[in-house]
Amino acid sequence: MKGWNRRVGGMVCCLGVLALMAGGGAAYGQSTGFTDNIYPVGKLKPTDSVPRLKVGDVAPDFTLPAVQGGTVSLSQFKGRRNVVISFVPAAWTPVCSDQWPGYNISRKLFDKHEATLIGITVDNIPTLYAWTKQMCNPGEKLWFPVLSDFFPHGGVASRYGVLRSDGVSERALFVINKKGIVTYIDVHDINQRPFLDALARALEEANRQ
Amino acid sequence: MNKKMSCALFALLIAVASLVSACATTGGGEECPISPDGAVKAMPAGTKDFPMSELPPPANEADRKYLGLSGGGNFPVRQIKAQVVIVEVFSFYCPHCQRTAAQINDLYRMIEARADLKGKVKLIGIGAKNSAFEVDAYRERYHVPFPLFPDEEMVLTEKLGVKGTPTFIGIRMAENGAPRQFYFGEGGFADNQKFLTEIIRLSGL
Repeated sequence: MKGWNRRVGGMVCCLGVLALMAGGGAAYGQSTGFTDNIYPVGKLKPTDSVPRLKVGDVAPDFTLPAVQGGTVSLSQFKGRRNVVISFVPAAWTPVCSDQWPGYNISRKLFDKHEATLIGITVDNIPTLYAWTKQMCNPGEKLWFPVLSDFFPHGGVASRYGVLRSDGVSERALFVINKKGIVTYIDVHDINQRPFLDALARALEEANRQ
Repeated sequence: MNKKMSCALFALLIAVASLVSACATTGGGEECPISPDGAVKAMPAGTKDFPMSELPPPANEADRKYLGLSGGGNFPVRQIKAQVVIVEVFSFYCPHCQRTAAQINDLYRMIEARADLKGKVKLIGIGAKNSAFEVDAYRERYHVPFPLFPDEEMVLTEKLGVKGTPTFIGIRMAENGAPRQFYFGEGGFADNQKFLTEIIRLSGL
């Protein structure tokens, strides 16, 4: 029964996501408990923040707690790895688990470009623990660190210019090369998922710079 | 009969009437098939024309051969050489699709291993809101042995009325005229054998 719940949990997330992607937003007839946990935010203003960084800038360093335990600092990768920072707006929202599960099966792509992926939201650790757990197979974990930018609230998102006026972050991708320089910024329409293709091209570019 | 029993009987009658009505409105005949694990109900959509949409060219020669296609370029579903086509609408980003990818690969192998089904029943996947790059990555990650196609703009996905992934659709091909959709199941299924038996039964193969 436990396994079934997990399976259906993942399924319902996908179902809800696609209903929204299709622009329908129609109520979906799945009556499991998990469906009710996805908060329907409706269609949002595509972007709602003031850019603070541009390509070529030095990426601001930060240290944040990780859901996997301990802390992660951007500076620990300098000179060793390219870094992709994926800000997503908030846990348990539509387009919900809809981006990182794709990254979770794309480790090869990141490794190929000597890149480390870091996921960041403004949620607290317990929320992120529950949310990210349902993205994986039972007993497995996401391969990349997920960091909590909860307190001071949205501090890192703010320094990266992606904190929206309602306190959640944009759906944004930053690529930072081994020198610590920002080589790619995609502050995406919050209602849409960025295609992996663009990120793959950005990673190729990061290695050239 | 006391009041409590009357209420229970009345509720039962309402429930039965609702079930009959639900089946009737889907045009599915006298019964509603329920997916083998009982978790996700798959109602027959009734038979209706499969949308006239083209799929992009197969990713490789093996896929082209499997589908029985001769030319290059985009192709309509009706050109697939088969009597029944099972379509899985999936997504690279969908954890449930990821978790069941190996199971659906087994379904393909089960069909190919049966002399009475090989060549007659074929399986394809359509990646909803997925780019070709993402579909390729999914194919590679899960060693998917059957053809997958991207539907980046959700053209076919929307025409099919798919609201979530995975969704399974059964199509009966016709010698003349449009293929007919006879099955629409949302969510997935636990038992490949039972699913296949149900598909064969509903298709009239």
